[in-house]
Amino acid sequence: MLPCNYACNTADHATTRRAFLGAGLGATAALGADGFANPVHAAELKKAQKRVLVIFLEGGVSQLETWDPKPNTDTGGPFKSIATSVPGTRVCELLPLAAKQMHRIALVRSLNSQTDDHGVGHNVMLTGRKMEPGIVYPHLGAVAARLLNSNANALPGHIRIVPKGGSGFNGADATFLGPKFASVGLGDGKPPADLFRPANLTPTEDEQRDAFRKRLDERFAKSRKSAATDAYTESFTQAERVVKQAEVFDISKEPEKVADKYGRHDFGRHMLLARRLLEAGVTYVKVSHSNYDTHHENFDFHIEQLAEFDKPFSALLDDLADRGMLDSTLVVVMSEMGRTPKINDRYGRDHWGRAWSVALAGAGIKGGAVVGKTNATGTAVTGREVWTGHLFHTYLQAVGLDSTKNFYPNERPVPIADPKTAAISEVLA
Amino acid sequence: MPEFSRSLAAVALLALAGPARPADPLHARIDKHIAAGYGANAKQVAPRSGDDEFLRRAYLDLIGTTPTVAELNEFLADSAKDKRAKLVDKLLASPGHARRMAWHFDVMLMERGADAKVPRAAWEAYLLAAFTENKPYDVLVRELLSADGADPKTRPAAKFFLDRNLEPHAVTKDIGRIFLGRNMQCAQCHDHPTIDDYKQADYYGIQAFLNRSFLFPNANAPAAVIAEKAEGDVSFMSVFDKNKKLNSTAPRMPGGKPVEEPKAEKGKEYKVAPAKDVKPVPTHSRRERLAGAVTSTENKAFARNIVNRMWAMMMGRGIVHPVDLDHGNNPPSHPELLNELAAEFVAHKYDLRWLVREIALSDSYQRSSESRPGLDDPSADRYLVAIMKPLTAEQFAYAAMQATGHTDAERAALGAKGTEQQLDALLAPRMGPFRGMLGRGVDPTADAFTATLDQTLFVKYGSAVRTLLTPRAGNLTDRLNKITNPDAVADELFAAVLSRRPTADERKDVADALKTTTDRGKTINELVWALVASAEFRFNH
Repeated sequence: MLPCNYACNTADHATTRRAFLGAGLGATAALGADGFANPVHAAELKKAQKRVLVIFLEGGVSQLETWDPKPNTDTGGPFKSIATSVPGTRVCELLPLAAKQMHRIALVRSLNSQTDDHGVGHNVMLTGRKMEPGIVYPHLGAVAARLLNSNANALPGHIRIVPKGGSGFNGADATFLGPKFASVGLGDGKPPADLFRPANLTPTEDEQRDAFRKRLDERFAKSRKSAATDAYTESFTQAERVVKQAEVFDISKEPEKVADKYGRHDFGRHMLLARRLLEAGVTYVKVSHSNYDTHHENFDFHIEQLAEFDKPFSALLDDLADRGMLDSTLVVVMSEMGRTPKINDRYGRDHWGRAWSVALAGAGIKGGAVVGKTNATGTAVTGREVWTGHLFHTYLQAVGLDSTKNFYPNERPVPIADPKTAAISEVLA
Repeated sequence: MPEFSRSLAAVALLALAGPARPADPLHARIDKHIAAGYGANAKQVAPRSGDDEFLRRAYLDLIGTTPTVAELNEFLADSAKDKRAKLVDKLLASPGHARRMAWHFDVMLMERGADAKVPRAAWEAYLLAAFTENKPYDVLVRELLSADGADPKTRPAAKFFLDRNLEPHAVTKDIGRIFLGRNMQCAQCHDHPTIDDYKQADYYGIQAFLNRSFLFPNANAPAAVIAEKAEGDVSFMSVFDKNKKLNSTAPRMPGGKPVEEPKAEKGKEYKVAPAKDVKPVPTHSRRERLAGAVTSTENKAFARNIVNRMWAMMMGRGIVHPVDLDHGNNPPSHPELLNELAAEFVAHKYDLRWLVREIALSDSYQRSSESRPGLDDPSADRYLVAIMKPLTAEQFAYAAMQATGHTDAERAALGAKGTEQQLDALLAPRMGPFRGMLGRGVDPTADAFTATLDQTLFVKYGSAVRTLLTPRAGNLTDRLNKITNPDAVADELFAAVLSRRPTADERKDVADALKTTTDRGKTINELVWALVASAEFRFNH
């Protein structure tokens, strides 16, 4: 048998609140707020509110049909490349609108994410680490919500918009950062039902009963007060603030013309909702676009999918720029992996993590930059290979965070980003 | 000893708070130990709880719900000196106590994991039956650790193993945590770096009881049972060991001696030999020795763990805290008390009901949760003030149904011949959403209470709570709608939801609300909601 199979896949091994209580610290090791022994410097948090939007092309988008075309080669497929707003940089012809935005976009064409698996790829792209035994790292959204969320924001800091399914709180993606930073999932963009005041309860009645509750709680707290009772009463204040902003989830409040710009389809609506949420102060929004897992008919599927992607993506960059938000909003287009340069016998491309591309724009990003290279047929990285950890550092530094610091769950240092990697300075403004 | 000198001795004992004597009932000895730990804070000890405070606490802790208005009134009116002890005995003898213990042990043993091979209904019925007959704890644990799932009658007891898929590390870790109070997870791969007491060899000593066991016919079969081979040893090496030395151990409890293993004659290793589609049965079963080894009186951690866990259930905090980190560097807050509880529990034949009763009768349990002025942040491990415990999902569900009179209405609908079992059958299905929301995503080993946005919205707007507020014959909003006098409304409201009388200020608030309203029914609904959503209701104080 193996000496150790490391089946302990809870975070206990290194990082739960309680894990190293044995360090002679006693049962009530002093922790800062949220378990941070060394809270990130307050000044850093006071910076202008920064936000992150991740557009996740689910299933594994082809780098060859997007950011790293190889026309007229064995692997290039039928599409041409086109010029962009950045002289010398060409992208696939399936992205005509994004091409005009290229001066705002930086490309990383040399990502080796070291996995060809959907689940693992999703995880490594969002945590910036290889999956390790004994610890589960928080997702980028939870990290951003934890480090960027200002207290002025009542709305959840971490929202995922997924194509379909139910809506709910408490995604399992915050791990040791705690449930406060776990994602709220919006299936088809719909918010969880309990977020809205029931029809038979008027705002006045709601206020009256809450005022009565508050009076009770204040009296109770005079002689019976604990961190737990405080947390409970405070949670009603937060809920109230969120409920008051429930309209931000309703894209019917947007003018028709704007909705048209984003496109009258699910992904268009979801991108418009993302913009509304970011504008309302949500720190991190992830929008998924499904599905790029094109083992068959890769080219037909990419024509369809990318047409659906290109328009709202371009509209959103314009919209953010027009509203003065692009400088403070990092936009990342990623996927769980790329697709094989080799075209299979079903005109498909298969899973591929060895040499593919990610696009970045907005906050802290040097528009027009292109980093890294693949060879002529796209089968290998030939210059400036980067890993998911490099990207993770880059995302955080782009929004003004020091990604080389640690989290301190239960006083144990856990690096925010993989210390074996560093930010890709060439794409940072 | 002549009578007068005995009473003199008793007086002297009280005056000096001298050492506890074995002749005292356990609850008196509990108080001696706790009082000895007050130290410089003795003057800040909270007074004895008020009758209403005690009543609500005892109901929640012992039967998992709050009292009816009639029960509150009856208790407050009772002038008997021993009415608290009588109440404790009444509650412990009621079916509600078995239900509460079944809830508690379900969460303790299964930690709200998803149900897999043993359906929830069968498991809950098994626990309920066990606590109805007050099955001794050692007997219960022997059943849990020895059932192989083959006999339909005892299959529910195998849930501990079967629903963990008999995964070697999951069951080793959880045997350590849940039955021995030792979270030895780190010892899976190396001696614990910071806890000297947790050795890798201890971890594998537990695992060696189970390393030959496997699920038959396979782990994916919903009806899988536990089978065992006759051979195979655990082997392990420390990830810190540069020489990569491979170690092994015979089955044994942490710190204990290896169990003796009879050597089966060659060729006679099996009663039923392994073959295709045949469940093998070894001549000597390692797994069958596990239950005995865990529950042996030589394994001191067994009784020590459960008395500590029951103490934590009642008092809001373990003497060893957290309850699964019992080791030398995390000493108990009251070591002598812990030893005495464990020894007495064994002497009383692992009688959980007796143990809960003794704790409930102690002054330490019956302290008020109200801090004296100036005592802002009392150290929780001194028990100067009763610790406020958040209601569990089950307690919250049942208390909300009682508070809003839903339970009263169901009881009335059943009529005089209705039984508690019939009532439970009506109430239990409503627990689902509460469990799903208030019990979900909670790390059962974490000591911090969290109130997430979704949980609060559930209380605020969720239909599970809201439907309880709709008037229906005999429920609280219905009763309040029929009361005209505002003071009487306030009295009934506070008695029903918070199990106490309203203060003068609170009566005035209620009267003002009713005076200014244009829709009395709606205002009453709002008032009931406000009390149910209050911190006072959310916590067992």
